[in-house]
Formats: sequence, C-alpha cells, structure tokens
Amino acid sequence: MPASVRVLRRRIQATRSTKKITKAMELVATSRIAKAQDRVAASRPYSAAITDVLTALASNANIDHPLLQPRPRVRRAGVLVITSDRGLCGGYNANAIRTAEQLIARLREDGKQVMLYVVGRKGVTYYRFRNRPIESNWTGFSEQPTFADARPIAETLIAAFVAGADDVDDPEGGDHPGGADEVLGVDELHIVHTQFRNLMTQTPVANFLAPMQVEEAEEEEHGPLPAYEFEPDPDALLDALLPKYINTRIYAALIDAAASESAARRKAMKAATDNAEEMIGNLTRQMNSARQAAITQEISEIVGGANALAAAGSEV
Amino acid sequence: MTASVETKTGTGRVVRVIGPVVDAEFPRDAMPGIFHALTVEVTLAEGAKVLTLEVAQHLGDNMVRAISMQPTDGLVRGAPVADTGEPISVPVGDVTKGHVFNVIGDCLNLKEGEKLEVSDRWPIHRDPPAFADLEPKTEMLETGIKVLDLLAPYVKGGKIGLFGGAGVGKTVLIQEMIIRVARNFGGTSVFAGVGERTREGNDLILEMGETNVLPQTALVFGQMDEPPGTRLRIALAALTMAEYFRDVQKQEVLLFIDNIFRFTQAGSEVSTLLGRMPSAVGYQPTLADEMGELQERITSVRGRAITSMQAIFVPADDYTDPAPHTAFTFLDATTNLERSISDKGIYPAVDPLASSSRILAPEYVGPEHYAVATEVKRILQRYKDLQDIIAILGMDELSEEDKITVGRARRIERFLSQNTYAATAFTGMEGSFVPVKDTVEAFKKISEGEFDSYPEQAFFMCGGLDDLERNAAKLRE
Repeated sequence: MPASVRVLRRRIQATRSTKKITKAMELVATSRIAKAQDRVAASRPYSAAITDVLTALASNANIDHPLLQPRPRVRRAGVLVITSDRGLCGGYNANAIRTAEQLIARLREDGKQVMLYVVGRKGVTYYRFRNRPIESNWTGFSEQPTFADARPIAETLIAAFVAGADDVDDPEGGDHPGGADEVLGVDELHIVHTQFRNLMTQTPVANFLAPMQVEEAEEEEHGPLPAYEFEPDPDALLDALLPKYINTRIYAALIDAAASESAARRKAMKAATDNAEEMIGNLTRQMNSARQAAITQEISEIVGGANALAAAGSEV
Repeated sequence: MTASVETKTGTGRVVRVIGPVVDAEFPRDAMPGIFHALTVEVTLAEGAKVLTLEVAQHLGDNMVRAISMQPTDGLVRGAPVADTGEPISVPVGDVTKGHVFNVIGDCLNLKEGEKLEVSDRWPIHRDPPAFADLEPKTEMLETGIKVLDLLAPYVKGGKIGLFGGAGVGKTVLIQEMIIRVARNFGGTSVFAGVGERTREGNDLILEMGETNVLPQTALVFGQMDEPPGTRLRIALAALTMAEYFRDVQKQEVLLFIDNIFRFTQAGSEVSTLLGRMPSAVGYQPTLADEMGELQERITSVRGRAITSMQAIFVPADDYTDPAPHTAFTFLDATTNLERSISDKGIYPAVDPLASSSRILAPEYVGPEHYAVATEVKRILQRYKDLQDIIAILGMDELSEEDKITVGRARRIERFLSQNTYAATAFTGMEGSFVPVKDTVEAFKKISEGEFDSYPEQAFFMCGGLDDLERNAAKLRE
C-alpha cells in the first residue's frame, strides 16, 4: 500500500515522541520514590514519639476528650480521599477512588450521610464530573507534600468533627443550614489513602481517623511506662496534643500516598514505554513491508512494460 | 461500416492461438466486425464441440484478434472459422426466469426433454440509456440490517457496492441481500456469478429453490473455472437480460453481481495477450473504460429501476488498488467490509466509518436519522482516535468523558453486529429484521447513554432493543 507508508511513518514518529515522554516520566518518578521514602523514614521518629506521649497521657488522664469519644449515634461521616494531582500513574487513582466508593457505600448502608474531603486534582475531577458535592478540597502538593500542607486539612477535619452532625436531627434547621452551630459537622472521620508496600505493590486502604480508638494499654514489651509528671495537667495537654496527632496521621498518609503515587507512576510509565516500543516495532515492520511492496510493484511494472514493448516490437 | 458489409459473413482460418486469444485470417471482403461472434469447431477425443470467439481487434493484413469464450484445447492452426455476423447474444424475456445460463446464452439447468422456447435474443453489447432518460428520484431501500440502514442506507434503483478482502463475508452478504430483498420483491431478479467459487453458485440455486424465489430469477454464471473471455463478458450477458425486463417488460429489476473485480481481472488477463501495455499495478490500460461501459448501463430510467448490488473484491485489503478504486466512483452506496472487524467476530463486518452513502443526508433520510448516524460515527471516530493512547497508556489515563465515550463506542460496535438469515447454519440463530425506525431509536438511546450499565456482551449479535433486553436479562442470571 504505497499511500500507507507515509501514514505509518507519521504514526511511528508520534509513538516515538510519546515514548520519550513516558521514558522521562519513568526516570523522574524513580528518583521521586527514593525521596518520598526518605521522607516517610524521617517522619517516623516524630510520630513514634507523639504516639508514646499520647499513650502515656491517655493512661493518666480521664478519657473524655471529644476526639476520643465515640458518638452514641453516628449521623454523618466524613471521608478524606487522597488522590494525585496528575495522571499517568496507572490505576493509582482509580484504585483509591474505588476503595473510597466501597467505604462510602458501606457507610450509606449503615444509614450514615457522607461528606467528602478530597486531596488531589484527580479525585476532585472525578467527583465534580459526577456532580457529587465536595465539602473541601486541597490540591497542588500530592507529589511532594509537606507538613504545612497537612495542617489546614487537619484543622478543617477537626473543626467539622468537633462541631458534630447536630443539624441532622433538626433537618429544617431553622435558618441555619449547619444546625445550631452553623457548621456542617461530622460524627466520624475516615481516611482513604494508598499504602506503599514495595516498588511493585501499593494497596489502597481505608482507616478510621476519629474518634480515636483507645486501646487499653496492655503491659508493653518494653516495660512499664515512665512515670511522667505532667505540667500543665494531662487534660490540657491532651487537648493540645490530640490535634497534633491527627495532623501527624494525615501527614503520614500524605507522604505514604506520595511514595505510592511515584511508584505507581514509575510502573505505569515503564509499561507505557514498553508498549510504545512494541508498537514502534510493529509499525516499523508494517512500514518496511509496505515500502518493499511498493518497490517490488514498481520493478514488476517496469519489467512487465518493457517485456510487453519488446514482444510488440518483435512481432511487427 | 455500410449495411452491405455488415450482412456479409465469411469464413476464415485460425492463424495463431495463445491461450484464450486467437488470431484468425479472413477474406479481404468478408472481415468480421469488432465484437462479432465467430464460431470454430474443435474435435477432441470425447467428441466435437463448437467454440465461440469474440472479435477484439483488427490487426491489419486481413487478420482479426479474438477472445475465446471457452477453453481453446484442441484448437489447431488452419481450422475454419465462421463469422456469425452479429455479436454474442443471450435469450431474454420470461423464458429466462428460473433458468441458469452461460455467457453464450445456453441454458444449463434444463430437465430431461425440456426445451427452451426462445422468442427473443439480444446482443450483449448495447448502449447505455440516454442522459435525459435517467431516473431523478431518490428513495431509500430498507434492508433490515442495522448497520446498513443506519450508516450506509441503500438507494432504490441505485448501485450498491460491497467491498472487502478475501473471506470477510462479501458473498454471504450478497446472499443475505438476495434473501432479504428478493423475497419481498415484486419484480424480477437477475444474478450474475462472475469468477467466484462454483460451489457458491450451486448453493445459491438450491437456496433460491427452497425460498421459492427461483421462478422470479434469472441466473448467469461464468465462474472461476472458466476462461477469462467468459468472465469478461458474463456480467454483460446478465445485464442484457436485466435491461430487457426494464425496457420491454417495464419491471423493477434487482441485479446481483458477484464479483465485479473478477471482471476487471479477466480484462487484465487478456489485455497483454491482446498486445496492450500493462498500466498501473499491472492492470490493463483500458481499465476505467471497461468499467465505465459496464457500470453506465446499470442504471434506472424513468420509473423503471435496476437496483444493483455488486460485490467487489479488494486485493490485499488495499482500497487504493486501481480495480476497486475504479468501481468506487460509480456507486451510490458503498459498504466496506473490514478484516479487523471480522477478526473480532462482528458480522456483518461492515466498517462503519469507511462505508458511506449518497443519501445519508437530512433531505433523504430525515433529520433525526442523520443526526443519530452522525453522532454514532463521531463516537466511533473518537474511539478510533483514542486507540493508540489506550494501547500505550491504558484505559485509566483517559479523561472521564473519554471513558464514557469508549464504553459507548464498544457497545455501539457490538450492536452493529446482527444475526443474519444467510448465516443461520453457522450461528444457529434465525436472522432478524429491524425496521429503520427502530434502528434509529436504538442507536439514539445507546449514544445518549441509556444502556451504559448493560454488559457489552449483551449487545452482541442481536436485532432490536427487545433482543438486547433479553440478552442482558440472560447474562444477569
């Protein structure tokens, strides 16, 4: 097919450019995984320390802080979904969103209303496209989140949780849509993010964020807790530390998700590069055979024509 | 050429035989005219037979070059050649119905003792109707096949081409159209088998006998075992019979030709032997001319239509090949059968984007049909554009809108397949007839997303929306 040589050449060219992009993204993602893993490692001592302190505190203070109290009736649950800002990362977002959707469906079955908090542009587009209301969203840092990025998220969530879903009982709510305190609150907080297991596997998980479950501390392996003396009193400390702890949990989820995102992207881009390479191979083969066919045809036409002329000449 | 010369018939002798091409020498005052039929007797071991030749060229020096309509085995130099004084002619009229003919008008399916009462014979070379007589009206021909009615509607009294490479279903589709259209058709049908498999001709006759359309059909066969001269003239023989029904009996006629490419191929086989220089891709230099002479005669004149369906083989699936390309320009509607679609198991394997029709326009089919067809094509085109991206990056990278488009395109693609009557033996499913109105409505709903939740498999090989619902219910169980 003489006409298709040109078409094939153009497609090869286009695929080659795509391959260049995917190859570059693969390299970038590879370097980002290492950085993200470093960050995960770096955050570990702090979160371990704050967990220790909280554990110590909890065993000393009265456990009636709102962030620790399960509500008797959960009317509305908040779900924080962590997705990426940019695509080209395979099934990363689709998987996270699917897990979130499963969680939401389960919550709905239990008769709870669901309020969405979304991190990452992909999640925002997903829900916007389906006309689902998003309570708040934060975008622009999914690949390299900082602690400062986690703070506003934690503040919003804690505010909503503390306010509680008191408006649900009073659906008319007078003139105030958010109930008496004019805040659309929640009674429960869930977080959906992707856990980084290793370079090949990342699994989306749904966790409980608040109220926090207090596990009755069994006798730990590393001996009894040190006898702290608290100043100011434990309750005041708990007040100050619990939000920080939530902060840490969210930050941990964000950096875990960031590492997963980079790993997912690296894998997806590797597959894409391989696919592109295969396609270039196929197309090149097709183009070569088309070109050869055109050449053969031209030769046979010339030879055939010459023969016919020779035959006609000899006859006369 | 004066009348006195035309009536004079002479006898000459064979000078040279090269395959199907025979040179003969005639007396100076009794040269046969171009296209005149010559006869020559050949004696073989199994007995004598008469060959018919057709004059193609005058070579000078009292020599003519003729093409044989039968194999030239046993023909020797010096054998006497008689000029019949007229072109090859075939029987025409009611006597042809229910019978099978070869290119020189001999009936092939006479029963013991039966004799054909031929009242009229027409020469196979005739002029096309005058421009002023052509039919100006345009009307759609409903086939009940969704993909054809929706995307490439056929024209009543028009020329329809079925393009396709080897083994993608051209002949099956032609047979399907015979079953669908000829069955409920008041007029006469004429079938021309040009250079295709002999078995198919046999199947067709049996099939027509069963469905009782044979008494209304004339069949003319010059299959692939016949010499090129036969294959070159067989379409003209069938066409002549069709013209008689149209011009003398004033009837509606259906003309099926399977396969026009063999006509071109036969022309190419004799062309070089006739001393013409091969042209593009080795075809005869007179390709466009030969095709034009045939196609221009297949037309509808005021009130009396010849609706023709022609299967056109596409060598090596290359649509730019001169043979299919020359036929292309004469057609009102083209149905392109595509290998990649038949590979997916979607039959009829019509390429929805490449097939087209002159009457797919709002003024002929109505604004709704046109809008739905355009939308369906848009969705399929988008899917095709996205295919490279899907191949490299995967479905997950598509935007939300594109994901929905791809889902719909895959459903539309499957819904364009249909169970057919001709394939009942293969699929075990009876064919289905879907009225145009239902087709348009069904595709409108699919492209609007009403069936996005139905599994893709449910759309496969079904007729209308009822079938779809039934399949979906079955799959849900």
